[in-house]
Amino acid sequence: MTLQKIIDRFELKTLTNLEDREITGVYISDMLSDVMSSAQAGNLWLTIQAHKNIVSAANLIDISAIIVTNNKKVQEETIELANRFHVVILSSSLSTFEMATELIEAGIK
Amino acid sequence: MQEATCSHSWEMTNVQSGFIITEKCFKCNKTSTYFSFEDRPPLEEYHEGEHFWNVMGNAQSVCFDLKCKKCQLEIPLKELSGLMMCTGCNEKCKIDKLMRKLEKDRVWVYIAFGFHPIDENQQLSKEKIAIIEDYFNQRRGSSTSKIKIVSYDMIDDFDSCSGEVIKDIGLLSLTPPEN
Repeated sequence: MTLQKIIDRFELKTLTNLEDREITGVYISDMLSDVMSSAQAGNLWLTIQAHKNIVSAANLIDISAIIVTNNKKVQEETIELANRFHVVILSSSLSTFEMATELIEAGIK
Repeated sequence: MQEATCSHSWEMTNVQSGFIITEKCFKCNKTSTYFSFEDRPPLEEYHEGEHFWNVMGNAQSVCFDLKCKKCQLEIPLKELSGLMMCTGCNEKCKIDKLMRKLEKDRVWVYIAFGFHPIDENQQLSKEKIAIIEDYFNQRRGSSTSKIKIVSYDMIDDFDSCSGEVIKDIGLLSLTPPEN
């Protein structure tokens, strides 16, 4: 499934510029070091972290998009940094668990 | 396959979670960093030779080695304390210049750090930095972008550098984060 289809289907808010691409799965973590060691390129990354460092970890692994859950506020400086490095940040009002459940029901694992 | 002729295919091995501890000696003002594998980060000050080390901070992180899936060659990376993404904060810095040169081709620059004191700890060799770069680029698969990893000693001014380090700070704090 592509990022654009995920955005449309789950009514995610796009906080950055969007580069549509195929997603390879989902990774859930609130630890950057965990993402660095275990996430896969093209994964959707579900987290409640919204500070600037998420861009650094997502960019290293080439995450397809970060979904910041629970309507966590993402600072403007995080969005600016993400745009510079072509990292896509999306926002959802759902909790991480609810978002993960919805993604599984949509056939994404 | 022979190591010398192998087109290595790297994977992480010996991945361990822990804490990067930063200490300062109040007598000589030297800073020390090391990786702790304890369940909890140390808090107590202690005496070691002429030094009186006080914990200044900690960050959760992982340490790892790399291993070639084809020839089994293992590259220990005990010298690596972390990676930082260059954000282009200082036009005089060689890394900033490199980043600006490479970013049009979507090559992102990261900086590999060793442990302090720099003169008392073995630092990452150029060969090891190249292998780490190779590993992360292999892991990115068919990505349309790449990464370049350079050594910390190319940084012009550590104090003003505002790169983004990949480490987890404050996750064990008892104070809830601001929204």
